[in-house]
Amino acid sequence: MTIADLPDAAPVVRPGVTLTSLSEEVSARVLRPHAPRWWWVGFGISLALLLVLVVAMAWLFINGIGVWGVNIPVAWGLAIAEYVWWIALASGGTIVSALFYLTRSPWRSATNRIAESMMLSAAACAGLMPIMHLGRPGFFYWLFPYSTVMGVWPQVRSPLWWDFICLLCYILMSIMFYYVGLLPDLATVRDLAQTRRKQILYGILALGWRGSARHWRNHQTVYFIMCAIMAPMVISVHSVVGLDFAGGLTPGWHSTQFPPYFFFGAVISGLALVIMLTILVRRGYGFQDIITEYHFNALAKVMLVGSLMLGYSYLWEAWGAVYGSSVADRSEFFFRIFGFYAPSYWAKIALNILIPQLLWLPAVRRSEIGLFLISVGIIVGMWLERFVIVIPSLSHNSIPSYWGVYYPTLWDWATLAGTIGLFLTLFFVFLRLFPIVSIAEVRELVQKRGSR
Amino acid sequence: MNAPGRSYWRSLEELAETPEFAALVEREVPRFRDVLAGVDRRRFLQLMAASMALGGLGSGLSACGPEPNPRQLLPYVEQPLGIIPGRSRYYATATTLDGYATGVLVASQMGRPVKIEGNPDHPASLGAASAIMQATILGLYDPRRAQSIVGHGQIDSWDGFVTALFERRDRLMAHHGEGLRLLTGTVTSPSLTAQIAALNKDFPGMQWHQWEPLHRDEERAAAKEAFGRPLDSVYDIGSADVIFAVESDLISAVPGWLAYARHFAARRRPAETGGRMSRVYAIESTPTLIGAKADHRLALRPAELAAAMRYLAAALGAGPQQWSQAQVKDADWLKAAAQDLKQHHGRALVHAGREQPAEIHLLAHAINGALGSFGATIRLIEPVAASPGSQQQSLHQLAADMMAGKVDTLLMLETNPLYTAPADVDFAAALKKVPLSADLALYADETTLASTWHIPAAHEYEAWSDARAFDGTITIQQPQLRRLYGGHSAQELLAVLLGNTMPVDYALLRAFWQSAAKQQGHADFEQFWHESVRIGVVANSAAAPVTATPTADLAAHLPAAAAEAKGLDLIFRPDEAAWDGRFADNPWLLEMPRAFTRLTWDNAALIAPSTAKRLGLATEDVVAIAAGDRQLRAPIFVLPGQAPDCVTLPLGFGRRAGGLGVGVGFDAYALRVVASPWLVAAKSLTKTGDTLRLATVQQHDRIAGRDLVHEGTLADFVKNPHFLKHEGNNESIYPAYKYPGNAWAMAVDLNSCIGCQACVVACQAENNVPVVGKDQVLAGREMHWLRIDRYYSGAADEPSVAFEPVPCMHCENAPCEVVCPVHATVHDHEGLNLMVYNRCVGTRFCSNNCPYKVRRFNFFAYAIEDDRPAESWNPEVTVRGRGVMEKCTYCIQRIRTTQIDALRENRPIRDGEIVTACQQSCPTQAIIFGDRNDPKSAVARRKASPLDYVLLEELNTRPRTSYSALIRNRNPLIKDDEA
Repeated sequence: MTIADLPDAAPVVRPGVTLTSLSEEVSARVLRPHAPRWWWVGFGISLALLLVLVVAMAWLFINGIGVWGVNIPVAWGLAIAEYVWWIALASGGTIVSALFYLTRSPWRSATNRIAESMMLSAAACAGLMPIMHLGRPGFFYWLFPYSTVMGVWPQVRSPLWWDFICLLCYILMSIMFYYVGLLPDLATVRDLAQTRRKQILYGILALGWRGSARHWRNHQTVYFIMCAIMAPMVISVHSVVGLDFAGGLTPGWHSTQFPPYFFFGAVISGLALVIMLTILVRRGYGFQDIITEYHFNALAKVMLVGSLMLGYSYLWEAWGAVYGSSVADRSEFFFRIFGFYAPSYWAKIALNILIPQLLWLPAVRRSEIGLFLISVGIIVGMWLERFVIVIPSLSHNSIPSYWGVYYPTLWDWATLAGTIGLFLTLFFVFLRLFPIVSIAEVRELVQKRGSR
Repeated sequence: MNAPGRSYWRSLEELAETPEFAALVEREVPRFRDVLAGVDRRRFLQLMAASMALGGLGSGLSACGPEPNPRQLLPYVEQPLGIIPGRSRYYATATTLDGYATGVLVASQMGRPVKIEGNPDHPASLGAASAIMQATILGLYDPRRAQSIVGHGQIDSWDGFVTALFERRDRLMAHHGEGLRLLTGTVTSPSLTAQIAALNKDFPGMQWHQWEPLHRDEERAAAKEAFGRPLDSVYDIGSADVIFAVESDLISAVPGWLAYARHFAARRRPAETGGRMSRVYAIESTPTLIGAKADHRLALRPAELAAAMRYLAAALGAGPQQWSQAQVKDADWLKAAAQDLKQHHGRALVHAGREQPAEIHLLAHAINGALGSFGATIRLIEPVAASPGSQQQSLHQLAADMMAGKVDTLLMLETNPLYTAPADVDFAAALKKVPLSADLALYADETTLASTWHIPAAHEYEAWSDARAFDGTITIQQPQLRRLYGGHSAQELLAVLLGNTMPVDYALLRAFWQSAAKQQGHADFEQFWHESVRIGVVANSAAAPVTATPTADLAAHLPAAAAEAKGLDLIFRPDEAAWDGRFADNPWLLEMPRAFTRLTWDNAALIAPSTAKRLGLATEDVVAIAAGDRQLRAPIFVLPGQAPDCVTLPLGFGRRAGGLGVGVGFDAYALRVVASPWLVAAKSLTKTGDTLRLATVQQHDRIAGRDLVHEGTLADFVKNPHFLKHEGNNESIYPAYKYPGNAWAMAVDLNSCIGCQACVVACQAENNVPVVGKDQVLAGREMHWLRIDRYYSGAADEPSVAFEPVPCMHCENAPCEVVCPVHATVHDHEGLNLMVYNRCVGTRFCSNNCPYKVRRFNFFAYAIEDDRPAESWNPEVTVRGRGVMEKCTYCIQRIRTTQIDALRENRPIRDGEIVTACQQSCPTQAIIFGDRNDPKSAVARRKASPLDYVLLEELNTRPRTSYSALIRNRNPLIKDDEA
């Protein structure tokens, strides 16, 4: 193995890429009249899954929350586990895009658009879950801070309300962040567009971007400030999701480690999904030149760090339960690891902690298949982690007479499949409508390489 | 029901004089034509709605039934006297179970009965109401009740039936009543008894048979042996220091058990009695409530019970000494118990349950005799039931005669022999040989469908009647509303046979009591009647005690040797809720968790953990059980505390016709035989490989180290009353709210709670708690606001049982309140944790955060799906819709009503003025509610007890509901069964 074979030595952008070829390559994916066959196949499957969501939601809203498996004591089921799962996936996108912008990591440039598209798609799914899970979903807007005729304001002490506000801000910010980053590329697409309709569409979306120095300077400033806001925000949004649980009195939830614990989870699961999608986009669009082993190597390392941080949280969780004085906490923890839901606990340990240790091997970090499989494993593992956090705690609560188990019903699973459909549909739409690699930023890299 | 609109009238006179009303009477009650024709309005009022005279205008006419002309509306200009919307009026009556009456007060809202309360003036209730009594209100409104007279398979009319019976009557007259048979349950009604006597005079050849599937034949046979004649026992538990219970139903099923339970519990609260407490020994095959409360309990098979009783009798000098030589398990235990009993001569009591063989009852009489219990803790009275004989034999005889063609007319009054008869009595075949069989029944049940005539019965709350309680006290039962589905009373049916073609229950009853009152020396009949009906008790009607001593020569009456215990025993017991099957159609009772199994919607074969292990069985395994040449399939339920090698089969399920209960559970009557009604030997018990999911509401039986049940012994308590207290940590960084006015609080005494579930159903009735059905219970969505947790400690085969009623704790630091994002659950200035249904969006975070898990969620629109008529709901309590959370409110509607009264009268609220539904129904006064800020209030005093504690104190929720620790009065000589 020579030095050159090591992923670390791989170039960020392959030598063949020029400024012109890059713009044309990336824009062509958007502008060509017919999408490739794989896009149609993928989009078709996504739409079918989306239809499942539509049916599942209709069934839910017509019949009531009882169509799910939730009960007393397990009043929160898959919907909340999946809410946390989706919001973590979305956060992962922001972490790649905002946090690593601030660190000026070069590998971020080719992957940030994928990450941001994923973030928006996942956030849509995340935003849907808490509303679906309400007993009276029609009244979700009562969480808005407005005074009703009765003069009743939301309960500001409730973590759910913090969560609602955080999520709302986060989704709005994410949309703006995505759009601001996309502006120069929209102008590029506009300029390269051949048909009148596309010129008008992208022309409107580009907001009159002409690429002047002044535009660039303002853009850079705004984008930097947005990153500086988004980076702490993504930490806060997931910490507050953690507080939904930590703020409760339920054994297994009532722990100060939840905010960072949830953030670590967001890092690893978000990275895993970015890697999965990057691999697919790279293959699908033939972006081998601009997305290289360099990127995978860097992403994989971050994911490995995420896995280690998560492992630390798991250890801490176990330690707190075993060492602490609360009978309920200890008994709940033993129920988690040995009880009815134990398989999901041990599966998450394997998928999130043990298997990702393979990433210590450079060969694994360079292997697309290896990375892909590990990432899928992590995403499944993180789903299981959310399940293990939400359900066994409620199931094995403080009062033994009311211990009970929860079985997801067909409609619970349909909702999961449906939100995956919603995610993929949105992602495929992003893939088709907007440049999936940031042209402007990669051009910057090409420019830098040229001047080096 | 079927009236699209309601019309109102301005006065009773106006109502009675309208032509519409005449038409209504013509259509609805044609036999009243003649009454009306006389235009004697006074008489009409007496007959038709006598409850008006007694203050029951609304209950008589206004609520139900079609109106004459729905288009004619009259304004509600003046409020009718005595009717205040939103206010309950109470009418005394009684409800009977197996013939014996318990007094009730029926709460009526705008003329609609909505709730059953116990009658404090009635000796069998003392204000308490059992779960079954509470649930009768639902039975009254049950839309599945039979509604039309059916004769020979065709819908017919009452007149048609009267004609048919009259034709038959002439023929019977000619034969002096030969071939006429009457089958009833146990009858305590003086008026019905008098009617039957009159029938016997008219038809000397008639025979009266009685059949109650849960008969007390064994008890009666033993009393006859012991005293030479059948006598009933009335117990004075309050003066019993030591109670020895042989699978006793003393505080769970005997007539009068509510009263017994009250006196029992009064002796079980050491903190209130200065450390004095009764001691209870229990030996039993299947767990009973008194066994759960016992200080020492042994689980023994039926044969071992007999041996133990012989041993005990010998040890107390009540039986031959050689009995004490026999090999008896737990001889030391029995010796210690015997010594204890002996030391409490005159203050001891031995009681054996209904299902025990005559031999054990006889032994109990002998031991009671030796202990000087008669005249002290037991009062003997002449039998309350009319003509008490062996009902087993009576039914057997009837079936044999029917088979032999000796019966041509059979009247069955509210009994269901086709379902309840022992398996070796083929009543169905016998019934086919009877040319005219008429069945008076509430439902189109098994017997009805096989009879030639079916007469829908009037519900107890729909007709005038009378009945006697366990101690002989008579109640005149008054109807609470007009008959919902037509229906006729037993008295009316028999009156036809006595020659009255237009019988009216009210007239019949009054006529009977007019002569009875005269005989008893009441000069002013109207006053006697008025007072008796109003109070719900005929004054001084309790039976006088008689003196009798049990036979001394006990051995002569008993077989020489006790039976051997071998194989598997199958024992039959009534289900706590379905009873003998008569309540198998009542959804409240079906969904009521049973005290020990916590099972709803099914019965199961109960089996001891050790036996289950030996046979390789687990809960929910379906087994085939064979006895004799009969067989049934039943799911297994492994029940700690069940005696090894004996399987309890609860009766009352597996109904084949009737209402809601059809097809629910398995029919244990299929194995019951005449010779041995409560116990048969199992030929085989084999696993079928099938399973049946059982909807139990409590899956974990132990407290798992939680701070939930404080338990100790009386000896420790006497040494140091504060022995269970530990320093709580109630720190908070916020200053505590002071609650300057009232501070509502509840205290629950674990010593008093016997696990009878009366409070659970009372809460359901009061608070419109919906029934959800078996599949939803299986999904973990039962809605009871109040539950009675049952925890075991100690060995699985001999566990110690604690019952713990858990309503909302109304925590001062309520974890539910801070997590609700929309302020749907908030705290009020008196410390109530309120639930604002309208504001709830259904995040369910409050339930997750409730450590006590007392919150219930409407996962579906349960209340809408509940098929009970709208008028049966309590109008004082919001019926909750889909997607909202609900929970115990401390009966806030009752608090507010009283507060408004007090405000209007400008006075403070008196202690005991506000009574929650659970507290009201509780036979043992385990639940006390009141103002904690008033140091003299009952609740404050109980909370000041050294035994007071709160659940999960370490969470610092500061619950308003607190508990009194469970204290056992252990015999220091018995060491082995310490929990």
